[in-house]
Amino acid sequence: MSLSVVNNYINGEFVQSDSAQFGDVWNPATGEKIATVPYGTKADVDRAVKAARDAYPEWRETPPLTRARYLFRLKDAFEENFEEIAETLTIEQGKVIDEARGEVRRMIENVEHATGVTTLMCGYTLEDIAKGIDCYGHRQPMGVFAAIVPYNFPGMVAWWFLPYALVTGNTFIVKPSEQVPMTQTKIFEIIDDIGFPEGVVNMVHGAKDVVNGLLDHPDIKGISFVGSTPTAQYIYKRCGETGKRVQALGGAKNIVAVMPDADLDQGLPSLVSSFYGCAGQRCLAGAVLAPVGDIADELKDKFVASAKQIKVGNGLDEQTAMGPLGNAGHKERVLGFIEKGIAEGADLVLDGRDCIVEDYPNGFFVGPTFFDKVTPDMSIAGEEIFGPVVSMVRAKDLDDVIDLVNTRRYANASCIYTSSGRAAREFKYRVNPSMVGINIGVAAPMSFFPFGGYGNSMFGDIKAHGQEIFQFFTDTKVVIERWF
Amino acid sequence: MPLVNFGAIMNFAEEIETLDMAYYQAAAGNPACEVNKALFEQFAKDAGKNIQTVKRTRRENVTEMILEGIQNFTREPFQLNMEIKSADACHTCALGETIDTIKTLEERAERYYQAAADKMKALPEVARALKLMGKKRSAHLKMLDQLS
Repeated sequence: MSLSVVNNYINGEFVQSDSAQFGDVWNPATGEKIATVPYGTKADVDRAVKAARDAYPEWRETPPLTRARYLFRLKDAFEENFEEIAETLTIEQGKVIDEARGEVRRMIENVEHATGVTTLMCGYTLEDIAKGIDCYGHRQPMGVFAAIVPYNFPGMVAWWFLPYALVTGNTFIVKPSEQVPMTQTKIFEIIDDIGFPEGVVNMVHGAKDVVNGLLDHPDIKGISFVGSTPTAQYIYKRCGETGKRVQALGGAKNIVAVMPDADLDQGLPSLVSSFYGCAGQRCLAGAVLAPVGDIADELKDKFVASAKQIKVGNGLDEQTAMGPLGNAGHKERVLGFIEKGIAEGADLVLDGRDCIVEDYPNGFFVGPTFFDKVTPDMSIAGEEIFGPVVSMVRAKDLDDVIDLVNTRRYANASCIYTSSGRAAREFKYRVNPSMVGINIGVAAPMSFFPFGGYGNSMFGDIKAHGQEIFQFFTDTKVVIERWF
Repeated sequence: MPLVNFGAIMNFAEEIETLDMAYYQAAAGNPACEVNKALFEQFAKDAGKNIQTVKRTRRENVTEMILEGIQNFTREPFQLNMEIKSADACHTCALGETIDTIKTLEERAERYYQAAADKMKALPEVARALKLMGKKRSAHLKMLDQLS
């Protein structure tokens, strides 16, 4: 059986890549190849940039409300195709269908937020900054922007940027992850039906050559990136060299503190979901569970008992609570971390290595895994595993747990479970990570708040979505005016 | 079968509404039920609206924050032996038997929506939608009572 090949979308039509190199797209639940993706070329990038650059002058002059109307149409089309997008996403990424639906919802919420352009893009003015002189700050679009997005959220992440870039009058290029190109391709089929002017929105599939092509292209004004920290650093540096705006969101190692006064009965479901949801493959997932004081043993027993109930399987089965890892290589990497944890002396309480899923013997499954007696210096307490592996580090008191949070290499998110307002206030005030959950296991900002971390979790100044994103995609032109 | 998460609860609601709609449509087409044709057509239309409500509620409320597991909730208390009596078989049922079946369907749905709304307390919008559909089913039951 021949596999379908995904195509680029350039200048308002699907076109084949020039590339002679192709990669495989897998269904991680079944372990089967489901499509082929071209590893695009610099020439593909050049064509997309030319189309976007040519489309820019007219799109820029299109009134903001007219641009927003394209997004209103897009929202309706996404609602109509909601289940189809979610299913495609589950098939190629593996997450369970409810998680996929949640991702599509978040994608649409960004479209909804971006339609507020007529308020959110407004500049500001002040009369009489000197006698008879007025000053205006206009927000102007800049040209062509691009987003390079990861495999763990194949639908949503591009939409943390794309709708805002378009609605502010820029044109755009998306490079989906080469591991999961089908969801974005499905989305672009919907975009094609909406009838955007040719070249306003484009997609190029590929790997490093496409990334470098985008980073180096002189006509691209800015890059939005989400992925690993080493790649985020690389992109940040290279964009600096080529004079581009950049927002590069990197990895995470999120600590979830549980105070002795935490309400475990209320909190346990969201705690467990924080670590094992999306099989641990989200940058807001809990990674280190840090009980404070004498709650540790009770928490461990309850947490592990709950983890044992998680049904692992194909995400399309509504009964499945946790899907596979995204690809075979990543499964091996996660298994490697489990071996490392054992070798470093942590106590493996729940072992997900031999996870057998009936009917899917070739799927990339790792079951819920739980380590106790992890110390802060162990690799499983510091490095990003990005899998369903809990490392429990016991903390003495609140100061100890805050110190644990602030000595990690990453500072994306952190959470605290407590009944004490004082402890919660102290925690949120002192921890470095930018996204904080209080009795919330996944501190995911919605589209109208900014998303992004601190330290090695984020490179750049302006985070994804929120109100600030309108600044990323615009230049504030200041006009100082006097009439004689 | 356990109803382990938000999606499973909403899917079961959709299943119930789809089955009930098929039954009401068949009942409306049954010559023996001619006297209540308009009522059964209305019930079928209401089930169609409920399907849209379920789909919209699922789409609009499924976010990461609420994807926590649901405990102690299964389909079994809401499975009806009479489901083997398909919509096709309803074409030849007597009026009394049809009304009794519809009462059982309505009662089952009302019970399910109340129980599901209780499980969805963390999501008031979802609980509200489920309760509203339960309320519509109560109203149907009152209409059916007036027939006898």
